[in-house]
Amino acid sequence: MNSMDTQKPAKVEPILELEKVDVERSSDIVIQNANFTIHRGDYVGLVGPNGGGKTTLILSLLNFLPRAKGKIRLFGVDIDKFSAWQKVAYISQTATNFDSKFPLTVRELVSLGRIKKGNVARRFTREDWEAVDDSVAFMGLTEATHKRIGQLSGGQKQRVFVAKALARNPEIIFLDEPIVGVDAATQEKFYKKLSDLNTKRKTTILLVTHDLTSVFCRMSKVLCVNKQVEIAEITSDLDPNTLLKKAYGEHFHFVFHRHECRGVFENDNH
Amino acid sequence: MITISILDLLGYRFFQNALLGGVIAAAACAAVGLFLILKKEAMIGDGIAHTAFGGIALGLLLGINPLLTALGVSVLAVFGISYMRRKNVAPSDSAIAVMLALGFSFGLIVISVAGGFNVELFSYLFGSILAIDQADLLVVSLLSVFVLLFLGFFRRELLSMVFDEDDSRVMGIPTNTLSLAFDLLVATTIVLSIKVIGTVLVVALLVLPGLSALQLGLSFRKTILTAVGFSIISTVLGILFSASFDVATSGLIVFIAVLLFLLTLAYKKLQ
Repeated sequence: MNSMDTQKPAKVEPILELEKVDVERSSDIVIQNANFTIHRGDYVGLVGPNGGGKTTLILSLLNFLPRAKGKIRLFGVDIDKFSAWQKVAYISQTATNFDSKFPLTVRELVSLGRIKKGNVARRFTREDWEAVDDSVAFMGLTEATHKRIGQLSGGQKQRVFVAKALARNPEIIFLDEPIVGVDAATQEKFYKKLSDLNTKRKTTILLVTHDLTSVFCRMSKVLCVNKQVEIAEITSDLDPNTLLKKAYGEHFHFVFHRHECRGVFENDNH
Repeated sequence: MITISILDLLGYRFFQNALLGGVIAAAACAAVGLFLILKKEAMIGDGIAHTAFGGIALGLLLGINPLLTALGVSVLAVFGISYMRRKNVAPSDSAIAVMLALGFSFGLIVISVAGGFNVELFSYLFGSILAIDQADLLVVSLLSVFVLLFLGFFRRELLSMVFDEDDSRVMGIPTNTLSLAFDLLVATTIVLSIKVIGTVLVVALLVLPGLSALQLGLSFRKTILTAVGFSIISTVLGILFSASFDVATSGLIVFIAVLLFLLTLAYKKLQ
């Protein structure tokens, strides 16, 4: 099923709101006047040229980078006063570049996702371990549960970090697409898992990606970032190129035929 | 040739004290050391150990238990290193180098001012577990129990931090505080190991057991237990052989730890 086929409920809670946000890094403006709103259940593709500010934007949404100007609200709360960080999960671009000898099994890594703010050093309960095993199973890693994370394949490495994020039942996941050099089929399986997560668990996802086809076939919104930030709802009326040219430049042309989506995702219903 | 039988030795109070102190300090060293290795900060162990030497000299000069003054000076060194990092005065390894040199030179000056506790100082440089007295055993045991309890309580948070600091911050782990607490724990561990192995070689007991255990490709839980096991084996065998053959304890402990490391490497190759 495509996300663009789903009907949006009448009133959906905004969970991330930006108003006139500027972000500077070493006194260069990297993000300028960003205004957009993400609602609960959105599946957002964050696209744009390299160096356009995608990662910077994500980091400022986590309050890792100071804003030069503007307001960010998470779950309706000003980000500087926001404390419910357990609702937010973040997977960095470099998550999968860990030392392959690091002594952690899949289950151990995923269990770290259950650490709670303000309740450090607590004992894990059965509920904790059930959540861990559920997340491992959801991401299709049950057979690798006791494997060391360094022994996983590229695709499994991508999924294990999502499993770790899922272990704490976040309401929104920021995923800066891990670079692991996996083949197209594996990448497609990964996006399929994320779609499942979005539809079955109603998790809001904000995914930085270079795979434009997946964005326009699967996701509900697209954020186009190149210093300026444009947001668009993905509907059958949307012409991807009008939007993408604003970020990638006039010479950019993305060949996209919506009917191809079915072909690309033919395994979705299996 | 064994001059005294091990069974005879076990009957002596001094020897029981040595084994008890050795085992408990070895366990603390290996557990803290594994996190240090994973944090890629093994050299902070060496740096603090050399700084502790300044504290020992000061204690001897003032007539205070040198372990306590060593603890004080090591804690100051940790804050110094942490300050230099935070204020971007120096990168981590340089900050450690500065503290190492400062602490050691401070010790040298104190010694020359006092002018004459060389023999006793030697025992702190290279350890003197066979001569551990009740008071020191108590200090070593209390500090070790504290270190092991801290690691037990905060193992997940620490593991998360050394694995991925950014993600840990998002999860609400106070990484700056935890990192400083961990460095203080390293200082404590080094001080409690001084009696066993001495300041010069303590880094071996911090690093070798963990490094050996890491070769085996185990889960984190099994890795840390194995590291502690290797550390205890090295220390106990070192103490036994040292008492039997009258050879320097710390030298033997390090040698056995290196031997275990080579064995794990060989095991890995054969797999």
